Amino acid sequence: MATNSIKLLTGNSHPQLAKQVAARLGIELAKTMSLNYSNQETSVTVGESVRDEDGKWEAEGTAADGPKTVFILQSTAPGDINDGLMELLIMINACKTASARRITAVIPNFPYARQDKKDKSRAPISAKLIANMLQTAGCNHIITMDLHASQIQGFFNVPVDNLYAEPSTLRWIRENLEVKDCVVVSPDAGGAKRYFPLSITISTSSFGFRNRLDLGFALIHKERARPNEVSRMVLVGDVEDKIAILVDDMADTCGTLVKAAETVMAHKARQVVAIVTHGILSGNAIETLNRSVLKNVVVTNTVPLGDKGERCDRLRVMDISPTLAEAIRRTHNGESVSFLFTHAPSD
Amino acid sequence: MVRNIVILGGNSHPQLLKIVSDALAVPPCDRVLGKFSCGESRCEIKDSVRGKDVYIIQSGGGKVNDHFMDLCIMISACKTGSAKRVTVVLPLFPYSRQPDVPYNKAGAPLSKAPTDVNRKDFTFESLPATPSPAQPQSQGLSNGLDGLHKKLGKASLDQQNGTSYTNGIAGPRRSDTVDSLQSMNGRDRGSSQGSVTHSATPSFTTHDYANPGHISNNMFQAKPGYKQWVAQAGTLVADLITCAGADHVITMDLHDPQYQGFFDIPVDNLYGKSILKKYIQNKILDFSNAVVVSPDAGGAKRATAIADDLKINFALIHKERRPTRITDRQNATMMLVGDVAGKVAILVDDLADTSNTITRAAKLLKKEGATHVYALLTHGIFSGDAIDRINASALDKVVVTNSVPQDEHCRRCPKLEVLEVGGIFAEAIRRVHHGESISTLFWD
Repeated sequence: MATNSIKLLTGNSHPQLAKQVAARLGIELAKTMSLNYSNQETSVTVGESVRDEDGKWEAEGTAADGPKTVFILQSTAPGDINDGLMELLIMINACKTASARRITAVIPNFPYARQDKKDKSRAPISAKLIANMLQTAGCNHIITMDLHASQIQGFFNVPVDNLYAEPSTLRWIRENLEVKDCVVVSPDAGGAKRYFPLSITISTSSFGFRNRLDLGFALIHKERARPNEVSRMVLVGDVEDKIAILVDDMADTCGTLVKAAETVMAHKARQVVAIVTHGILSGNAIETLNRSVLKNVVVTNTVPLGDKGERCDRLRVMDISPTLAEAIRRTHNGESVSFLFTHAPSD
Repeated sequence: MVRNIVILGGNSHPQLLKIVSDALAVPPCDRVLGKFSCGESRCEIKDSVRGKDVYIIQSGGGKVNDHFMDLCIMISACKTGSAKRVTVVLPLFPYSRQPDVPYNKAGAPLSKAPTDVNRKDFTFESLPATPSPAQPQSQGLSNGLDGLHKKLGKASLDQQNGTSYTNGIAGPRRSDTVDSLQSMNGRDRGSSQGSVTHSATPSFTTHDYANPGHISNNMFQAKPGYKQWVAQAGTLVADLITCAGADHVITMDLHDPQYQGFFDIPVDNLYGKSILKKYIQNKILDFSNAVVVSPDAGGAKRATAIADDLKINFALIHKERRPTRITDRQNATMMLVGDVAGKVAILVDDLADTSNTITRAAKLLKKEGATHVYALLTHGIFSGDAIDRINASALDKVVVTNSVPQDEHCRRCPKLEVLEVGGIFAEAIRRVHHGESISTLFWD
């Protein structure tokens, strides 16, 4: 079977997601170990061959055919982003020096995605730097999900597959909410990340009945003074007596989401739910959410949540490991990935 | 006052930044460097760097990965901010010490192939043995934990000697690969590589490579027949610094001189030797009767250079691979070559991390009759329980430079004395800026 030769490596950032993806692919995670020395440098040990073998293996009738592509799954755990990143880079480089033919980095939550433009004098374009670093380390392909700005793909000279959590989101809406009463609200109409909430309405109207939810749409216009801080909000559109679904690509400190939820409720929405792809939820996010008017906050498991699920009973988690696994399988087999842009693999 | 220059400092070593900028009479560049609440580094450079010669000072101690990412982001920010040239000043180069070959319990590299029953089955060809039902699932663990220990030893031997693994004599040494260069240079120092901590599990030390029960405890075991290897981050770090946009690197006492070759950009490796030498001349009474001791064979060159310059005697601690006496466990594998009886012994090394090597060397020297034992080190990382170990050791004085911040160490360790390197870096920066020779800095 072809999937036998998928090598999936993972770092310490999100072992649970890696296990789920591996289980979905029906493979075992490659044997690697990464840890920190006491001087806090990261050490990576690879415990099995990633060398691209030729046909010798099959000729001798041994277990697996040679690995064609090495996949390295590494998310970014809030707080240790730099450690996770260095671990990923060292791991990529380890595979490269160990003669892997192709190395694909699976980074569900691309780090530094928000530092993607020179918005001030001498502001670093850190996302571009990360892109360069990944390629320098030896990465041949990137699989990621819901990039903060899809233009980040242009920072790379290697293929970037930007997956969408949207099919999973649509399924969650269908399964958990009264679809006919829903209205999608974009909490941040300005800026480059507009595509995500809009793509829901686009996809709902243009990709066949499977996705057709026929949701109404509203947006919130806001002026942001400083990062992680929100100033004034204006709602455009009608949410009265509707279930408002706030859709965004990431929730960090949740200030925006909570303010947006309050704005929506002030416009007589029946209830408000937030659906967010990357639940970074750093700082006091959990306390902020617990105090908020949001009925539910739905995130995917691209980012490790730790004990946040217990600390916030409004938090719901969508599992996107099937999408990642399917993307890995398709990439490995050279099949089209675009099917996943509109369909979530069923459980 | 040096013109057209910007001194930018990271968070790792503010004192050094101050000393350097004072020496050059240039105020440090105004910048914001911190973290967003999600953990991403945040960097804003307030002063203009357009057309300037930028020097970024960041050391490799403390939270290495954070500091390294900060450094790369700062380099990139300066580059996109149209800096004319970006020079990275790394007093202590991060990831300069590579993981070494496995060690036995006493800290010496395993070079003699252990004889064990499975030896026939274990091959060092690149192709692993064909799995068969009769064979144990994991060759590495077939003898229990001790078995893996032995396998690791053989693996390390194989790495060092190319194909031959019968003993430490034969076999062409591969000197053309990065891997072997590092293992050749740094192989005697692994025991001080230090404790290893792991976020999710109890802490490890590198000695645990020789004691695999701690590591492989359900967490890690190599595939059957595959010799595990530890990734070498050296070239990667060099590449990443270059890729971020650095044009020039200034560092000090690189652990492996070959590291310079990993870069495609100029690397100025400064020497701490002159400072250490000055210390010996000025602070050690009757230094001409003292003996300079290298705690391992790898550092012999560094130590002999100082001994030759000062025209004093030299001794070497050789790590004997076979225990000579079973009763003398701790020092069984260390052997002093040279005479220190009744003399002051000066241990010279480039770097101390967990200080295992120097404290054990000190014990040996005292046993051999040294009256005083000094340790002179360029980089004092002192991670883990290094400070406690030094406090409890036979060392009378430990002298380090402030290539990494030493305030906290000084507070906890009365034996510690710190030498200032800020002046050397300031002078090197000035010379690089004006295009003057660096090597004359080290002429006597």
